Amino acid sequence: MAKNAKKPASARKGSARRPAKSGNKRNTRSAGRRWFSWRFIAKVSVVLLVLAAAGLAYLDAYVRDRFDSHVWQLPARVYARPVELYPGRVLARNDMLKMLELMRYRRAGGAPTPGSYTTDGNTLVIHTRGFRDSDGGEPAQRIRVTLGGGQVRALSSNDGDSLARLEPLQIGSIHPGHTEDRVFVPLDRVPPLLVQMLLATEDRDFYDHHGVSPRGLARAMVANVKAGGLVQGGSTLTQQLVKNFWLTQDRTLARKLVEMPMAVLLELHYSKERILEAYLNEVYLGQDGKRAIHGMGLGAQFYFGRPLEELEPHQLATLVALLKGPSYYDPRRNPERALARRNTVLKVALEEGALSDQAYRRFRERDLEVVPRGASPLYAFPAFIDLVRRQLARDYPADVLGEEGLRIHSTLDVLAQLASEKALSEHLNSLDASGDALNGAVVVVAPAQGDVLALVGSRESRAQGFNRALDATRPMGSLVKPVVMLTALQQPKRYSLATPVADEPITVPLTTGKKWTPQNFDGESKGPIPLVDALAYSRNQATVRLGMDVGPDAVVRTLSQLGVKKTIPAYPSILLGSIGMTPFEVAMLYQPLATGGFATPLRSITDVLDKEGEPLARYPVDTEEVIDSGPAYLIQWGMQQVVEKGTARSARSVLPPDLKVAGKTGTSDEYRDAWFAGFSGNHLSVVWVGRDNNENARVTGSSGALPVWSRLMASLPQTSLSQVPPPGVEEVWMDPSGEKTSGKGCSGAREYPMLEASIPEQSDGCGSATQVKEGVVEWFKGWFD
Amino acid sequence: MVQRLVRLTLLAVLLLSGCAVTPPAENAEPVTADTELQGSPAMALLSRAEQARAQGQTGAASRYLERALTMAPNSSWLYRELALLRLEEGDGHAAEGFAQRALRLAPDNDDYRAELWELVAAARAEQGDRSGADQARSRAQALRKPDRA
Repeated sequence: MAKNAKKPASARKGSARRPAKSGNKRNTRSAGRRWFSWRFIAKVSVVLLVLAAAGLAYLDAYVRDRFDSHVWQLPARVYARPVELYPGRVLARNDMLKMLELMRYRRAGGAPTPGSYTTDGNTLVIHTRGFRDSDGGEPAQRIRVTLGGGQVRALSSNDGDSLARLEPLQIGSIHPGHTEDRVFVPLDRVPPLLVQMLLATEDRDFYDHHGVSPRGLARAMVANVKAGGLVQGGSTLTQQLVKNFWLTQDRTLARKLVEMPMAVLLELHYSKERILEAYLNEVYLGQDGKRAIHGMGLGAQFYFGRPLEELEPHQLATLVALLKGPSYYDPRRNPERALARRNTVLKVALEEGALSDQAYRRFRERDLEVVPRGASPLYAFPAFIDLVRRQLARDYPADVLGEEGLRIHSTLDVLAQLASEKALSEHLNSLDASGDALNGAVVVVAPAQGDVLALVGSRESRAQGFNRALDATRPMGSLVKPVVMLTALQQPKRYSLATPVADEPITVPLTTGKKWTPQNFDGESKGPIPLVDALAYSRNQATVRLGMDVGPDAVVRTLSQLGVKKTIPAYPSILLGSIGMTPFEVAMLYQPLATGGFATPLRSITDVLDKEGEPLARYPVDTEEVIDSGPAYLIQWGMQQVVEKGTARSARSVLPPDLKVAGKTGTSDEYRDAWFAGFSGNHLSVVWVGRDNNENARVTGSSGALPVWSRLMASLPQTSLSQVPPPGVEEVWMDPSGEKTSGKGCSGAREYPMLEASIPEQSDGCGSATQVKEGVVEWFKGWFD
Repeated sequence: MVQRLVRLTLLAVLLLSGCAVTPPAENAEPVTADTELQGSPAMALLSRAEQARAQGQTGAASRYLERALTMAPNSSWLYRELALLRLEEGDGHAAEGFAQRALRLAPDNDDYRAELWELVAAARAEQGDRSGADQARSRAQALRKPDRA
């Protein structure tokens, strides 16, 4: 079929052009020798015909080859986690509305179309947009959500389950190597009005011509003469597509010469629909920094923040208006021009019968309604996108990411991210109003699944550049203390939370020949204190004594047990956190502490789908028990004391009173780094504050990082840490020495959770609870003696 | 001597009465999805996961379960389901981890715990860890003993 079509085309073209001209010349030159001249002409004509045919055949093959194998440059798109709605989900009404606004849902009575909603007091009717996911996704549907008391009270949806999801918000695109960006929209999903407007303004004869339109050309020439300059191009959509698709933008004669035959060839092989679809997705609509906006689908997102299907006539007209000059008619930079041109498009649409008179009057009164550039969530979370990019780069080559339109479903929780940004920037603004000294980073993780919910790499969260959350390697300071304590608690015969540790001056000889004499933060020494207090009050001397007792190498082993991959030399100084870690690495280290001993790799991606929404790859949760339940429970309990009464107690006034959380402050030498890492039952957050130049930041974990952490945690939906001891752990009253059991109400007695192997046989002879238990055993023992 | 015998008898009576007062765990109510997730929206996702799994769509099933977990993070049953699913997918490592997590959150029910230990055993066997599998299996048997006696 295609072959048949090719030959006549080349023949027609060949004879219609060059041979006619050149033939004439030779005719006059060789007028005297007719015999030769006829044969000569014939020969030359044949040669030229063959050449032209060959040229056209080549062009033809070129056109078809490129069109058939054309790979749309479809950068991978990254989406946040979909907002999950179900009764009991903690969600403030304001946050719900904030999400709808970010996703550009319109307020419209009755929520008639996808992407619209209406409110009635605490009840929202939301017409969701459908989406694909590895579990099939969600259809577009109208749901009714009732909010109250900061949570979802009731929800009804089409399928009868009280469950629904809003589509995932696109938070970025990944286009390595090139800068062309688009959202492919198949023709059947392009609003018919857009096509009508496009054809009315750009190519009225589109359905009648064969690639070039003499009528169109004539009209353009008339218009140009009338206007006294070049106002219309007269090229068809097909020609424009050829130009955009195959030819470079420079206007050389050769390019001009091949444009027309290529347009004709394209029309010969492909349907009008395919050409139109290609045009709609190829067309250049503007520039966003280095990123070139191509196609109507992305144009809709870029200028209106919505899918193309949801645009209203005046918005569609704005997109068509841009075709004449995306920069000249840029609705953001040149709104007057854009508006005038848009209204011209509406007028033409009216004249062509695409718009009713009434609709025309209504829509020409509307504003441009372009969303401000800065408001796009596409660039809002560069630090997180950076993490996604790094995780993707391990599994996908750059060209796949740039071309195949992958949909990356990430773990980002938009509300947690916004809360983290706010908490960090507000606190740093209060400490350092000038804004140039202090900076910081935040990592928020859902520890059970290892999902990274939020990542802030700078106090100016939208700033590209140094990603402190991933790249600022700083000494972790006292954040290492739980690891030292855990090392001890894993030896229950030797240590419990009650074990007395001497908070007294200590000098450690180093292999270098020097001596290390660590000081406490307050310069004092408290004498013997229970192990848990060394943690709660972050006592350096006690921790070093304990650490030297268990051995720095044992602490290194615990670090690796908790998932630290890098080699850490077992120097004594690691006991006070001379280990360099990034905030992200700290989150990895603390993750098993938050889950009671299960290590789960942190992930920023859950699924990768192809451009049609079919699942390609999954990043399932993996998990491994790395700490036994007993010691894991004890260290969590110890870290809760940090917040209950220790160095982080100021958090209590910010957090809900009954919420059980745990954590640890960290301050490095000379106040260079302020850390806080801590967790509830469902959120683990790490905050770092310091200076990029590593100078004294004049902040401590308690003053610099903890307030950020507390405010952030207070604004997230929280569950408490479990207070149920695992098998093998008992609550025991201990005497002040920490070496004998005691009883409730006895002088100086304190209750600790203890592993059975740690519970001393000796009692101080006071109290009831533990005493009775011990007593019964003694009593039974007596029977057999 | 007689005194000692009396004491022993008394002790036996005490122990027996103790048994009668607190029923042994193995007689506890069986653990099911219903007992674990009653009233939770996660229940709907669990049943979708079961359907997907029945149709061989393990990826979709996994996604449903992971979503359910955010709604009911302390449900032993969901971890058990994830362990079964990972085992079916041939990921013994994750299966073992999830089974251990299910055990950590398991209600006080010996039959259920025994079943989870069997799951740990299967997951270890999948990873080629025979001795680990044997250990887990004997933990399961120990829990089932009273039944067989």
